[in-house]
Amino acid sequence: MTQLSFAAGRRGSRLPTVPLIGAKLLELRKRRTLMIITVAFTVALPVLFYGVRLAVYLSDPARNAPAGTPSAFAVAGTVMDEFGFIVAVVLGATAATTDLTDGMFRHLVVTGRSRLALYLARIPAGLSILLSLAAAGFTVACLVTAFLGHPEPAGVVPVPPGDMIRAGLWLELDLVIGFTVGLGLGSLMGQRTVPVILLIMLEIIVTPLLTDHALPYVLNGERLVVGVAMDQLKPAALAGGTTIGPGGGPHVLHLPPMPAWAMITVIAGWIIGWSAIGAWKMATRDA
Amino acid sequence: MTTMSETRESPHPRAGQPARAQDGDWAVEVHGLTKRFGARTAVDHVDLLIPRGSAFGYLGPNGAGKTTLIRVLLGLTRADGGTMSLLGVPVPAQRGRALARVGAIVDEPRFHGHLTGRENLRVLAAARGAGAENQIGPALDRTRLTQRADDKVSAYSMGMRQRLGLAACLLADPQLLILDEPMNGLDPAGMHEMRDMIRSLVDEGRTVVLSSHLLDEVERTCDAVAIVDRGHVVRQGPIGELTGGAGAVLEVQCSDPPAAARALGPPAIASRVTVSEDGLTATLAAGPAREQTAEINRRLVGAGISVYGLRQRRARLEDWFLSVTSRLGEEQ
Repeated sequence: MTQLSFAAGRRGSRLPTVPLIGAKLLELRKRRTLMIITVAFTVALPVLFYGVRLAVYLSDPARNAPAGTPSAFAVAGTVMDEFGFIVAVVLGATAATTDLTDGMFRHLVVTGRSRLALYLARIPAGLSILLSLAAAGFTVACLVTAFLGHPEPAGVVPVPPGDMIRAGLWLELDLVIGFTVGLGLGSLMGQRTVPVILLIMLEIIVTPLLTDHALPYVLNGERLVVGVAMDQLKPAALAGGTTIGPGGGPHVLHLPPMPAWAMITVIAGWIIGWSAIGAWKMATRDA
Repeated sequence: MTTMSETRESPHPRAGQPARAQDGDWAVEVHGLTKRFGARTAVDHVDLLIPRGSAFGYLGPNGAGKTTLIRVLLGLTRADGGTMSLLGVPVPAQRGRALARVGAIVDEPRFHGHLTGRENLRVLAAARGAGAENQIGPALDRTRLTQRADDKVSAYSMGMRQRLGLAACLLADPQLLILDEPMNGLDPAGMHEMRDMIRSLVDEGRTVVLSSHLLDEVERTCDAVAIVDRGHVVRQGPIGELTGGAGAVLEVQCSDPPAAARALGPPAIASRVTVSEDGLTATLAAGPAREQTAEINRRLVGAGISVYGLRQRRARLEDWFLSVTSRLGEEQ
């Protein structure tokens, strides 16, 4: 037998190594259908949206607005946010469950590697795919808005670069939330379908209802929903540039504004809380 | 602890292998291990000592608790009681260190179907850490998967997946391999190949623990065995010693086998009688086999049964296993 220098100390480390993250990245990016959906919802969607707008504008520039107006930026951002959140949830839940469903979890546990490290490796691996693609799609929106938004219709103020950056960061934060919650819930339930359905319902049904209706007596409860906090943090550029609120967010809020510390607490709580739940389940699950 | 009254022997390596392991030199050491699922006790105060450098069979009928014990040993599930160590390292306290030189296949080997065999090994090598990546090529060579290493695992046969499972074990350059039903789904050629591979691993000084219900394969592959039933280890020891104590087996060709079986007891002359189409097989009790054979012949002829042939042979592991498990059944 050859003598290998397995570093027991690092194997027992609860932090994932770069090769471990790379391995999970390999496993995810080789899932063809998942990657097609991810690219479609993050990159192809804004390209298609602006492509159609550009074609319409070029067909009759006198009657149609340019492709990159501020309102088009807001619409593109909102669409990217809604679909991006869904794809983030799918990617997170997939990252959480494929080792289990494919029967690889046992092999991985038998390596002696810390289960927490195995769990944590999924976060940078999944986010590196998701955020890079979302950034590429958002860059398309920014470029079109910056260079193909002229001439602006009367009374419209162009979106400043700072607002674009804020909008991009907000969008990426929303995807981080979708991914980590999908990952945590997927790990907790040990399956992908139900977490994805639950979180899509949260995103497209529950959150809009809550953000549009201030419910008496349970206002603070509403504010604990991450989508409500994120809505309050939404940059003006994604709200059509018509309003200004905390952190540059809109003030067309149906709920009284949340203080910044409360928004940050709710958002961090969802990310950290679901990550902790998912990691706990991973650490205690029978393999 | 076993609940049987028989004295349990410590397992010995096969002749030609390193001498009997000394205390503290066990590949696997288990004391009082217990695992419950609700009200059901799957592993019940099991003691097990497996010497280094041997092939050890862990036998039992389906549902006997074989896989559960392996899962507990490997940290796939938690024990409810008892102490364990792998290669002298206590688990689960130092699980990471203990598993550094352990390879295992538990249940059917399954992998990411959308990845190639090589990519699956890369994933596992990344989890293993330093040095394991370099073992991918040799492991693929050794399991004769190099030609198909870049095919997706979804296109692999069961035998190829078993071999890939073994290749995954070899990434650890293991001192201890724990293989749960590695022959499952293999054709005769595949079984032969797996057997040779296991023996070659043992010849290199590694320890192989083989869980199986394929007794013939275990007998051909292993040096020592333990039988587990209903969560208890009921016997363990070197195969030669165990089957030697089981008595000889007499194969009888005769007319009317059911009547012949009735003629042999009571009073029972054989510890176990199995009826077949053209005769019966009697496992003789320990003692002078020639006298027992003659007595059987006398009884059959006396009962008016035509005896066409009598053939005495050494008891095989299967005979011993069945005699042990049938006795257990009688004790229930």
